Amino acid sequence: MKLPANVNSIIGKEGIGLKKWASLMLTCMFAISLLAGCGGKDEAKEKAPGAAEQQAESGDTVTKFSISLRTLNFGYVEQSPDINADKWVKRLEELTNTDMDIRLVPHKEYEQKMAQMFATNDIPDVVQGQGGTTGKEMAGSVEAGVFMPLDDLLKQYGPNLLKKIPQEAWNRMSYQGKIYGIPEWLGNPSRRATWIRKDLLDKTGLPVPKTVDDYLNVLRAFKELGVENPYMGRQDFKYADTFFGAYDVFPYLSQFEEVDGQIQPKFLDADNMMKALSTYKTMFDEGLINKEFATINPTTFKNTILAGKAGIWSMNANELIQWKTQLKESVPEAELAIIPSPVGPDGKGGYYLYGDVARSYFINAKYKHPEKVIQFFDWMISDEAEQFFTFGVEGEDYTKDGDKMDYKQPTDVQAVDEERYRQAFLWMVQDTTYNKGSLSLTEEGRNLMSVFDNTLANEGRDGIEFDPRLEALKKNPDITPLSDTPPPLLITHMVKMVYGQEPIENWPKVIEEWKSKGGNDVLKEANDRYQSKEGAFLPRK
Amino acid sequence: MAPRPGKDGNIWRMIWKYKALYLISIPSILYFLIFKYIPLGGSIIAFQEYNIFKGFGGSEWVGFAHFAEMFRHYDFLRILKNTVLIGLYDLVFAFPAPIILALLLNELRLVMFKRVVQTVVYMPHFLSWVVIAGMSVAILSPTTGILNQLLGWFGFDPLYFLGDNAYIRGVLIGSGVWRDTGYGTILYLAALAGINPELYEAAQIDGANRWKQTLRITLPALLPTIMILFLLHIGKFLDFGFERVWVFLNALNTENGEILDTYIYRAGLLSQQYSYTTAVGIFKSLVGLALVMTGNFFSRKTTGESLY
Repeated sequence: MKLPANVNSIIGKEGIGLKKWASLMLTCMFAISLLAGCGGKDEAKEKAPGAAEQQAESGDTVTKFSISLRTLNFGYVEQSPDINADKWVKRLEELTNTDMDIRLVPHKEYEQKMAQMFATNDIPDVVQGQGGTTGKEMAGSVEAGVFMPLDDLLKQYGPNLLKKIPQEAWNRMSYQGKIYGIPEWLGNPSRRATWIRKDLLDKTGLPVPKTVDDYLNVLRAFKELGVENPYMGRQDFKYADTFFGAYDVFPYLSQFEEVDGQIQPKFLDADNMMKALSTYKTMFDEGLINKEFATINPTTFKNTILAGKAGIWSMNANELIQWKTQLKESVPEAELAIIPSPVGPDGKGGYYLYGDVARSYFINAKYKHPEKVIQFFDWMISDEAEQFFTFGVEGEDYTKDGDKMDYKQPTDVQAVDEERYRQAFLWMVQDTTYNKGSLSLTEEGRNLMSVFDNTLANEGRDGIEFDPRLEALKKNPDITPLSDTPPPLLITHMVKMVYGQEPIENWPKVIEEWKSKGGNDVLKEANDRYQSKEGAFLPRK
Repeated sequence: MAPRPGKDGNIWRMIWKYKALYLISIPSILYFLIFKYIPLGGSIIAFQEYNIFKGFGGSEWVGFAHFAEMFRHYDFLRILKNTVLIGLYDLVFAFPAPIILALLLNELRLVMFKRVVQTVVYMPHFLSWVVIAGMSVAILSPTTGILNQLLGWFGFDPLYFLGDNAYIRGVLIGSGVWRDTGYGTILYLAALAGINPELYEAAQIDGANRWKQTLRITLPALLPTIMILFLLHIGKFLDFGFERVWVFLNALNTENGEILDTYIYRAGLLSQQYSYTTAVGIFKSLVGLALVMTGNFFSRKTTGESLY
């Protein structure tokens, strides 16, 4: 700012008025300098890790790295005043000789925040992805060279990782033949299950249903018993897609199939799709599904079930024990069971299979000590780590008498929350199918493991999946499905058909509409990509 | 209005003379520069194939391709129609609501009662749309909703308000009126308080009843406020708001309920097509600008009131 040369003379003329202004300006400047001062302090803080880094180079001092972690809606994480000061984080750091700077990413705005992080170039040393190198949340960062390829490092510093993690999971973490991330993998990708109120089924005297017709009969019997929602519906058929699975017509991202040498989405199978829609229409007309299911949100869905007003529904199997406890609070005589999903004309059924990778970890190409981070993750799959994450610290959380483990399973909500946080959030690399250690301690837990190993392992629908995603799907959100939600264009028709606002025989027309609104490009690209074997993953079942 | 330069035409002398005014305007000028005008530059990504790693400098220029794509989109007309219709309904039904309410409140004589009513009607403004949508689902439900039970007493069949294209616009406007009408009265009530009571006394002596007084005194006195707020409202004509629509949308009502904002969210943030959605956003702003200028022009011609 250019000050006039004759300041003094002006002050002389205008007197106090200007003096006031001058003092105001001084105050402003003071405020600004204070702010600047704060900035200076920050810089000083940032310098500290640099110094520590130098130390790390000189000897076996702690490894410092920043890491972004999605909060996953865990109450314990979201309510923690400072996750970096959390006692479990501190213990983990002690065990691994590290000093993590955890930067939480809000669960709900995950994709948005990730894109923001990349756009502002404020990228932590280790970035958590949700599986795959080219997913939306990665925003093209792997292609842009933000992260380093890990093959050589893994060979040298991560022998256990390479040994224990299945090849399918590594395939997902590869881009142009190189591994870019360490996956938290899923040994059994069949997670969603069909749940039933066993006590109600016993009342009807009917056997456990198998086919779609059996299921409809059980639902009718539930209706006669006075169950409000024999089948619990939900908005957009999310977690209410049991019968699309029976007919193998999930309109989801991973559900492409080969028909007569052509690659196409499964919902193009008009016969089966119309059968599935008719099943829902029957249920709607007979009142076996709530007439307002198009506006039932996740909260209402859960509350209705936990209030004992539903007979059959779909939910992730690993929620079983928790929901059972909660349901018993309102309906003490309630018995919950997971049964095989209805089978369709091909004798199979089930829900869409999850990806092989649940979460994954990428290392910033600029980070100085990637080998230490690899060692950190390598430790995660050791026996010591399993013991720590499952049961906590010996002497405090459990005692051992020879081989006998004395671990008190938490019962109150807060303690359950804390255990879940330790076992699922903090244990970053593991097989997340279920926690074997703590489940095998109880009868209930052993039952659940058997559900996973015997019921769920035998069902589920998979298809051909393209990763990176087809360009044609990126272009038009209307025809783009999510991993477990149909594309908006299809949902509209599907819901209308079930509500009787549009004849189900129109499905072939819907397919034509889909094709004309960009679907033809999808088909062409899918076939090209499949022929050239570029990022095409074949069905696992 | 800034005074014109003096006779000698020395603008610096003029600035120096009003230095206090200029000084206190610096913070707001800086605010608009930093937070409003500089980000405007980001709009150039509408003319690029924007890649967040390459930035403004490295991304490829594509000219008007994204605008062309927008106009070619098979659903563009439907979404534009929804946006315009919802904006129009909002203008016709929601805009006058606070005026009417303020006039009614003004007629209340019992001060305590007036205060209570005022507080009650402006409270909903502080609820978030997510909460309102949750309440609406409960209130409008065909089986358990209170509204449908009321309709049932009058012998009507229950209506699935949220599951029908025919009602969604009504629900959107209605919930907005419920939420914001009370809050909107604040400005009008302030304007009403400023009317000289002698005018009413004179009118009473001339034999005017309350209705005549409202027509001849209150309304003309409110007109400048109404006009300015009207112009501001027009500026936001296509800007109905993303959240309040998004929370009500479902498969059964998207056809009539989807607006440009929700489309931008789906295509832009969910599919990460930054350039494309910026183009849609620019289009929206241009229409808004044109509407304000037209409205301002006519307002100045007819009532003499204008924004600039």
